[in-house]
Amino acid sequence: MEHYLMIARSVTFAQRMQRALARHGIRSRIFRAPRDLTDRGCAYAVRIAEGDLPAALTALHREGLDPVQIFLSQRGFYQEVAT
Amino acid sequence: MIYLDSAATTFQKPRSVANAMDRALATMSSPGRGGYPAAMAAADAALDCRTELAELYHAESPEQVVFTLNATHALNIAIKSLVPPGGRAVVSGYEHNAVTRPLAALGAQVSVAAAPLFQRAAVTEAFDRLIVPGTDAVICNHVSNVFGFVQPVEEIAALCRDRGVPFIIDASQSAGLLTLDMKALGAAFIAMPGHKGLYGPQGTGVLICGRDAPVRTVLEGGTGSQSLEQAMPDFLPDRLEAGTHNMPGIAGLLAGVRFVRKVGPEAICQEERRLTLLAAEGLRRVPGIRVYARPDLKAQVGVLSLVPEKMDPETLGAALADRGIAVRAGLHCAPLAHRSAGTLETGTVRVSLSHWNTREEIGRFLGAMGAIFR
Repeated sequence: MEHYLMIARSVTFAQRMQRALARHGIRSRIFRAPRDLTDRGCAYAVRIAEGDLPAALTALHREGLDPVQIFLSQRGFYQEVAT
Repeated sequence: MIYLDSAATTFQKPRSVANAMDRALATMSSPGRGGYPAAMAAADAALDCRTELAELYHAESPEQVVFTLNATHALNIAIKSLVPPGGRAVVSGYEHNAVTRPLAALGAQVSVAAAPLFQRAAVTEAFDRLIVPGTDAVICNHVSNVFGFVQPVEEIAALCRDRGVPFIIDASQSAGLLTLDMKALGAAFIAMPGHKGLYGPQGTGVLICGRDAPVRTVLEGGTGSQSLEQAMPDFLPDRLEAGTHNMPGIAGLLAGVRFVRKVGPEAICQEERRLTLLAAEGLRRVPGIRVYARPDLKAQVGVLSLVPEKMDPETLGAALADRGIAVRAGLHCAPLAHRSAGTLETGTVRVSLSHWNTREEIGRFLGAMGAIFR
């Protein structure tokens, strides 16, 4: 299933993103970010369903919680998405 | 035991604190070190605690709330972030060694805003005279740990804002009793222990960082973030939280903060003031002791000091301990405060309260004092 991973700079930031999304009715999960996606090592990612991206970005931006990077997962591969 | 040493640490805690610590030991590992349930449970507790404190102190965001070992650790970070070696600081005349020793270690030029005890306007005037261009930081405790003197931090903050000088507030004795608004004050840092008026366990402290405050690390190490970099992360709280967190402590602190917010700092403060007044009035009737309390307790909260005229304070402290009453005698790690109040030669016996003290306990303390000085 396709989904987006939004990279957060820390677990605290990822949690704040998750809580902000929940307040806007958007379901998400926090994961350790795959190593390939973090050029500085060790980060967290917030996973959302493909259709939730526009609403999620709007909600996060409103709360000052913009992700560091966003990746689209397709058939096990990740592709960075310009925001 | 009648415990009257809460300015050192609140010995009696809400039951919820111990329960939370038990739960943390059973269910939490370490935040930022994994994505499995135990790591995320720890991360949730840590964020909940940061969020509660950010709300209580009107911090910019939960990430500005940094966990430390104690208030001393928090003050060291704050002071060493702002005052370079040989730099210039202005402090009140009632500071603790947690402020003066880091400044001494930095070889800082320290100006003391000296003022008589309980004279808030005189404190403000002294700071007004001393905050000059080139001052690296102003540091002032909200409440003196020796005398319970509530210092005019709002007025001092206004002076600092006007002159563009960063302000560090030591909220060690006021946390849980008197509120502070980080945003309105424009303070660079507010430091506090978790184990006093916030009713968390020993080994917990908090540094609330202003949005634009520069932060220097005093400890470097793993943070679970940006691990390829050898420099510490440039964002909070990670920048200042190297190494594994004290999760039982943080979970306990969270329960303590929730307790304080549920009861209400104002309600706790009001009751402590009532008991302090009761103690001060009773002590004035005991012959041979000098009591450091204004009759109306204006500008004082939760702490009062006394000096026996013909007995060493440590001897009085021991005599009270023999009667099951815990107080603290000596200099209370604050020689500067004693110098300011004229008690450096003797030290004092300090009586300090918490939410758990009762009128009956104060009555028994006064009875013991009467018996000792009969």
